[in-house]
Amino acid sequence: MEEKRHTSSHYEIELQEIKNGLIYIGALTEKAIQNAMKSLSERNSEMAHKVITDDDEIDKLDAEMEEHCIRLLALRQPTAIDLRFITTAIKVTGHLERIGDMAVNIAEKVIQLNEEPKLKPYIDLPRMADLVVEMVNNSLDSFIRNDLNVAEKVRQTEQITDDLNEQIFRELLTFMMENTKCIHRALLIMHVSKNLERIADHAKGIADMVTYMVTGENVRHQTRDDSAKEPA
Amino acid sequence: MDVNMIISLQNVNFYYGQSRALNDISMDFSEKKVTALIGPSGCGKSTLLRLLNRMNDLIIGTRVEGKVVFEGKDIYADHIDPVEIRRKIGMVFQKPNPFPKTIYNNISYGPKLNGLGNSDLDTLVEQSLKQAVLWDEVKDLLNKSAMTLSGGQQQRLCIARALAMKPDVLLMDEPTSALDPISTAKIEELIEELKKDYTIIIVTHNMQQAARISDETAFFYLGNLVEYNKTDKIFTNPDVKQTEDYITGRFG
Repeated sequence: MEEKRHTSSHYEIELQEIKNGLIYIGALTEKAIQNAMKSLSERNSEMAHKVITDDDEIDKLDAEMEEHCIRLLALRQPTAIDLRFITTAIKVTGHLERIGDMAVNIAEKVIQLNEEPKLKPYIDLPRMADLVVEMVNNSLDSFIRNDLNVAEKVRQTEQITDDLNEQIFRELLTFMMENTKCIHRALLIMHVSKNLERIADHAKGIADMVTYMVTGENVRHQTRDDSAKEPA
Repeated sequence: MDVNMIISLQNVNFYYGQSRALNDISMDFSEKKVTALIGPSGCGKSTLLRLLNRMNDLIIGTRVEGKVVFEGKDIYADHIDPVEIRRKIGMVFQKPNPFPKTIYNNISYGPKLNGLGNSDLDTLVEQSLKQAVLWDEVKDLLNKSAMTLSGGQQQRLCIARALAMKPDVLLMDEPTSALDPISTAKIEELIEELKKDYTIIIVTHNMQQAARISDETAFFYLGNLVEYNKTDKIFTNPDVKQTEDYITGRFG
């Protein structure tokens, strides 16, 4: 059902500014993840450095978004769906800012990796990165469009990224056991994988908040067993 | 809702002449809680409020169907004295309306008419003014005209006057809409205190006020009760879309 517009057009604009702002921050974080991974596959330390410096922009926009939301809480005293939307937006911008930080962590590990020979071809990592970028994109999409189905898809994809991280970890463990000279590089790659897994967690966090925003139900700390028991 | 009920409306219809202003209303008001009645102009909330102590009887051509049960009795039954009902279910109006008498006599007038002796009146006046958080401001001015008080003080005097009759329920029809923000805050603070001892039902156009001070909120539209629930629920996640549209300003 299409949402009716507010009687106050200024309020309507202010709410739309939140959506537009988060779409933009989301685009920056997706680019940060992609560039961090590209800097890994292309062994491009200059690109990795740029990911690190570009994070300042994401941090700045996060602070501005939070300020904008707090201002609306104070001046508009929102209720019901608007209250849940604005409080969700505050959480979403926090998640996106942390995702930016994860991309920085990846870039920092890439710079170190590029100082040594490549350990192995990257197969699972790019796959994981693609999934994670899709999760971030979908989580934001679900927020903008109040779409519970897309939010649920993000929540389910998180398990796949957890499994991939496990798989990468086991493979790298084998490398380390076979050749101790690999340990440093393997550990750095594990960090990259772990940061991608944490990005997926943040994307799921956004999806959980969307569920709360749309339904009023807080699903944030449900276990996977709880989710499995829920009716479709 | 699972609390003690003090007034129960059962399938109430209310008419101004041929025009039906309230449609099949059934709801229970919880004892010693603040219930806010909200809704756009003309929705029937003030009509419902006046129904609760038969103030609508004073309007020619009105008619009630259904039951309004208080203390186990339908207050519209033939043998019920509406004046006695209005003693137990007091009312405070939008515009402060002190009597053109002294502050003291404003409070003592009702109890005196009900036979309370002079020796007890002083105590009652002091007690009522203290309950209305007005005593400290007027204790040395009791013989002054009530008309010399500020708007906020006059409204608290009207509340004290209602309390002097020892009601069970206080009905308030937009009690702060004519007052400045500080006076409004004082009245709201007073309501928070009074609900420990009294049931309060308040009509308000100020949704933030309803959110601040009420325990339960009922939303009306075109004479219908649309939604009635705990205030937290109404203002965070109402069940009915129409309620959400109204409280978020998407109405009209």
